[in-house]
Amino acid sequence: MHPKFSRSLALVCFAISLTAHAQSSLQSGGDFSNSPQPNALPSDVILVKGAWSSASDSVTPVPELGRVANNVFSNQYFGLTYAISPDWTEKYSGPPPSDSGYYVLAQIRLAGTSNGTRRGSILIAAQDLFFTLTPAGNALELIDYDKESLNADYKVEQPPTLVRIANHSFVRFDYGSPVAELHWHVLATQIRCHMVQFVLTSRDTKLVESLIQEMSKMTLPAEAGPISGRGGGEVPVCIKDYARGENVLERVDPVFGERRFNPAPVRIIIDKQGKVKHIHFLSAFPDQVKAITDALFQWRFRPCLRDGKPVEVETGIMFGRAPRPAILPASQAVSE
Amino acid sequence: MKTTKLASVVAILAALFFTGMAFAQTDPGVRSNTGVNAGQPFASVTASPNDLAFFQTGLAQFNEHQTVTGDNPGLGPRFNLDSCGACHSQPAPGGTSPASGIFPNVGPNPQSQVIANGVVNSNTNTIPYFVFANGPVREARFPFFFDQFGNPNPNAPNGGVEDLFTVSGRTDAGSCSLPQPSFNTARATNNIIFRIPTPTFGTGLMANIDDSTLLANHAAQANNRLGVGGAFNHNGNDGTISRFGWKAQNKSLMIFAGEAYNVEMGISNELFTQDRPLPGEDQLGSGLPPSCLNLAGIGYPEDITHSDGTTASTVTSDVGLFNTFMQFLDQPTPSTTSPGGATSITNGRRLFSAIGCALCHTPSLTTQASKLTLGLGNATANLFSDIEIHHMGAGLADNVSQGGAGGDQFRTAPLWGLGQRIFFLHDGRTANLLGAIEAHQSNGSEATQVEENFDLLSPSQQQDLLNFLRSL
Repeated sequence: MHPKFSRSLALVCFAISLTAHAQSSLQSGGDFSNSPQPNALPSDVILVKGAWSSASDSVTPVPELGRVANNVFSNQYFGLTYAISPDWTEKYSGPPPSDSGYYVLAQIRLAGTSNGTRRGSILIAAQDLFFTLTPAGNALELIDYDKESLNADYKVEQPPTLVRIANHSFVRFDYGSPVAELHWHVLATQIRCHMVQFVLTSRDTKLVESLIQEMSKMTLPAEAGPISGRGGGEVPVCIKDYARGENVLERVDPVFGERRFNPAPVRIIIDKQGKVKHIHFLSAFPDQVKAITDALFQWRFRPCLRDGKPVEVETGIMFGRAPRPAILPASQAVSE
Repeated sequence: MKTTKLASVVAILAALFFTGMAFAQTDPGVRSNTGVNAGQPFASVTASPNDLAFFQTGLAQFNEHQTVTGDNPGLGPRFNLDSCGACHSQPAPGGTSPASGIFPNVGPNPQSQVIANGVVNSNTNTIPYFVFANGPVREARFPFFFDQFGNPNPNAPNGGVEDLFTVSGRTDAGSCSLPQPSFNTARATNNIIFRIPTPTFGTGLMANIDDSTLLANHAAQANNRLGVGGAFNHNGNDGTISRFGWKAQNKSLMIFAGEAYNVEMGISNELFTQDRPLPGEDQLGSGLPPSCLNLAGIGYPEDITHSDGTTASTVTSDVGLFNTFMQFLDQPTPSTTSPGGATSITNGRRLFSAIGCALCHTPSLTTQASKLTLGLGNATANLFSDIEIHHMGAGLADNVSQGGAGGDQFRTAPLWGLGQRIFFLHDGRTANLLGAIEAHQSNGSEATQVEENFDLLSPSQQQDLLNFLRSL
């Protein structure tokens, strides 16, 4: 290329880039705009999210995506359906999962004000047992802990007791507040290493008992039970701290561009070959999601065997600020 | 006969109406029969002549009105008001938004008086549409930058403070000519949010709660059955828990004071050393025009530590004095009898805990040892806050991110002194306590279930709870 031509070309490119820069500057109205017909932002929408939940694909079910439709609460991740009476509705969706693995799956309440005495609410929630801050290893222990830590505002009405609902074992715990004249009835079971709980609140214990009766129509996976729910069958087995020690054959640490201080709990599904198949972020910023995703898809695990056959495994890893399980370097894991 | 029948019906309806009224719960309003119960220094400060002198100098500086030039220089070129104490004045200096017709009748919203008081020139400034004489002091933010068509661009988050006024046209502002931000366009595009001043009573105690105490409280509340999560905002420099501001975005009172002096009043200082352009002026790459820089003619920063001072309080910078004043402000004193009587307040307090309000509005936390003054050390801070940020849902979301807090996350507002506050929630959208409680539930809020529990209470129980809150 002729030097003169290339200089001209460079100048033209520079001029275009300047124009482009000027236009991009002008494109921002900054703090000043007098456009007569602007488009308005929607109201009551959360557009700027902080640490939030997300997943590496939109096909694999995740806990927070349950919903109430046609008077049935269904949650594909937990394999759960629960028919609610027509006069009960979900008015507000819950918050995103907390960074200690607490989910609000549905908040259902008796529609209308009725006569003021037969009102109540149903909170369906879940606690990821991999990330709970409570010293408990299963749903039964969690409910026992609840009972032991109940403060003086409440009175135990029925200590944690095993009951059968819809042919599955639950732990039931009732307590009340004399001053508020409210009663809480907690029914909890364990599915995929989560405590799944139904918290029924009302002044009217008969109303609650009728709700409990109606729960017999609920459908649950075979694994459901206050201790037993550890996956398996059609879903991966869930194993706490599987991503540690000799199970980790190859590990790549995420490279974070920004220094952050939040816990970033992650659930992963490892396929039968030991590769990461799915990543679910309970709570993480988008830049953390990208860095962790890029790293985790390079991890390799020792395949998990059950009865001599490889199975898919679901486990949890805590990235970020919170204390996380010690993960041995890949070199050490391989040498063992 | 017909008249008699009609009269009977009216009488029955009236009886039903007034019966309903008798059971209907109402916000008792600002507590006015117990005097002003906030704004005093700790007893340990009063007992120390040096500390008291520091506090009083800080108070005087807090209430001082700044000008562009002169004895109290540095105002502008953009600002929301000219004095800390003008915004933080209800029910006493250090508090929050005042009102003229509500106890203790501090005065109208001072932002509504800036033209009348000669703080701004009416030829170059107008009072924004959201400022009213009987409304709250407000700062405005545009969650997103506008594009060239005047549309807010959701891919360009802004969220910085858009100062309401400029010094343009003031006799001490020279040729500095600055327009006010496009508040009306922002309104038309739903691209504007507001914040009201946070009260500073007891904030020295909040500053002196160790992170370990906050973390232990968080862990103790984590296994609740009410839908509450919670997280902390952190200081980007050292990673510790930050705690001041509506989103707990500020680590310390000194930073809080330094930022406010710069952002709200336009006074550069040793923490924020330049005059501040609007976010858009920064984004456009222009910054402030030269004609609007160094208007005081004293160089930067405009507020400094005075090496020629003769006492601690005359050496200290304005920001240092604000910091000392706030640190030494004791927590408000609640009433045990008003409103509603002791029994109602006691009952309300128990209900507050029983239905789950206390999960986030932690009644008290203990401070660590203090080198500053005895009153701050190993003390019970009755703040009614866990200092955590919580998702408050789409109904309250302002789509402004600060530190680790997202668009719908807010610090649990400390409730001490609530009984003598006028405006509620981050933007002062309501002066009715019931309205503030109801706003706790919306899509995505952690507080929906607790609010639902409030709805399950009987009217008289709700009244007890409201009385308790207004006793604080």
